[in-house]
Amino acid sequence: MQFDRRSVLKAGAALSAFAAMPRMASAYGAFNPQPGPWRQFEVVTRLEIAKPEGKMQAWVPVPAVNEADWFKSLGSEWSGNGHASLGRDPKYGAQFVHVEWKDGETKPLIEVTSKIATRDRAVDLSQAGTVKSLPAAEHKFYTEGTELIPVDGIVKQTSDKIVAGAKTDVEKVRAVYEWIVANTFRDGKVRGCGIGDIASMLKTGNLGGKCADLNALHVGLVRAAGIPARDVYGIRVAPSKYGYKSLGANAEVITKAQHCRAEVFIAGHGWVATDPADVRKVVLEEPPGNLAIDNPKVVDARNTLFGAWEGNWLAYNFGHDIALPGSKGPKLGFLMYPQAECGPSRLDCLDPDNVKYTITSKELTGA
Amino acid sequence: MSPPSAAAQLQPAPGPQPSFILPDARGERFALDAQRGHVVIVHFFATWCEPCREELPALNRLAERSNGTIWVLAISVDEPDDRVERFFRATPVRFPVLLDRDRAVAKSWNVTTLPSSFVLDADLKPRLAVETDFAWDTVDPRTLAGELSATTQTQGTSQLQEDKHAIR
Repeated sequence: MQFDRRSVLKAGAALSAFAAMPRMASAYGAFNPQPGPWRQFEVVTRLEIAKPEGKMQAWVPVPAVNEADWFKSLGSEWSGNGHASLGRDPKYGAQFVHVEWKDGETKPLIEVTSKIATRDRAVDLSQAGTVKSLPAAEHKFYTEGTELIPVDGIVKQTSDKIVAGAKTDVEKVRAVYEWIVANTFRDGKVRGCGIGDIASMLKTGNLGGKCADLNALHVGLVRAAGIPARDVYGIRVAPSKYGYKSLGANAEVITKAQHCRAEVFIAGHGWVATDPADVRKVVLEEPPGNLAIDNPKVVDARNTLFGAWEGNWLAYNFGHDIALPGSKGPKLGFLMYPQAECGPSRLDCLDPDNVKYTITSKELTGA
Repeated sequence: MSPPSAAAQLQPAPGPQPSFILPDARGERFALDAQRGHVVIVHFFATWCEPCREELPALNRLAERSNGTIWVLAISVDEPDDRVERFFRATPVRFPVLLDRDRAVAKSWNVTTLPSSFVLDADLKPRLAVETDFAWDTVDPRTLAGELSATTQTQGTSQLQEDKHAIR
């Protein structure tokens, strides 16, 4: 067993002063999402293949999450010059518009319009809840490993150390959350990179990353503790009304605003919002940048994002290991970005030379 | 640019590794078994990984200095084909760059850290390994090839490997 490279496991410190605290307003206290009015948004994804060649197809994610308390997917429409249909991942229910263009199409284009309703959510974990436990099958489903989120080996060993001493599920999840916030940063001394899954993150000690890395690590460590957890892949659609520039989409064009969050299932409270990756984002990006961990804005985000999040965000799906129909490429670890293929090659959708796409957001009803 | 990890050393390799057949970005398929008879460095990397990007030129210089006595197979782990192709258009190398699109080969070789390198003898038995970036400029290719070829009667040639290794 190799637990090594660096002090990956400051696990004993994870149950810090924060660990057993209920969510409460900090000295700053401005970040306080609470369930309120629903907001409706229209989100348009327009995708073009920049260099048409061979058989061309694309998959555009559309919202497929419906949670009575905080999110409604209100349907999607599409237009363009290919043959398109709505596809659905059979395991997780993730949805996408799959479009295929005929050979020789010189300007492959698809435009997908989705409507959603969203609102803030929050739960007071210091009060006893009444939500029933998950059925056994769902509990198993949301505690299993996935391709990118194994829950055995170093993940289980790390989780065991982090939650040692925690008695309740809330304490265990809080311990993991605090460990993520305290330990996931880019350490210049670490030379290796992971191969994309959370086990390699832990083994290399390279715990830096974006939401898909950090919240996946959070979900994996919680699942390894036997508590249901799931990633929610989505995109920010509006500025934060709580004054966090780093936690909102601050323009109509939201092409690069993808963000995934995480939920944990706490007996009595049901699925609970958590987002340790956004705490790290505040540290890194909130102006003027590189904020200290005890900066009031960081403290406020750290307290708030365990149990609450702001409804300025669209949830696409909870999916992992998604096989795209018609594709010969490997499964996707998650579906949060549009995907496209030309011939046998899956295109790099982050490379505008190959695939051009824009995503725009417009609010239909004010808060 | 940071120097390669100061403490990085080639260590004894953990044991036999499974063979593989992987494509390059042009669709040509390369089999590890087809490299038998040559000392081979199997190198796992990703273009987004900073130490990998810094190490690849040194590996290329080693391949060049070895004049065919050491062959290199670089394996990109879990990246879109065109991203890899774009990277090597800007940073060309003289060895094949293969695509482990679903990380299956990396996983079967128990690779968790990028970059990772394995030095195989002429029987394709892993003899040395390093789980981080390595200072390949410090390696004398003739010495390394000589030591690792000793176990096999090798009738190696020094032709450029791009011309010889593809399965056609």
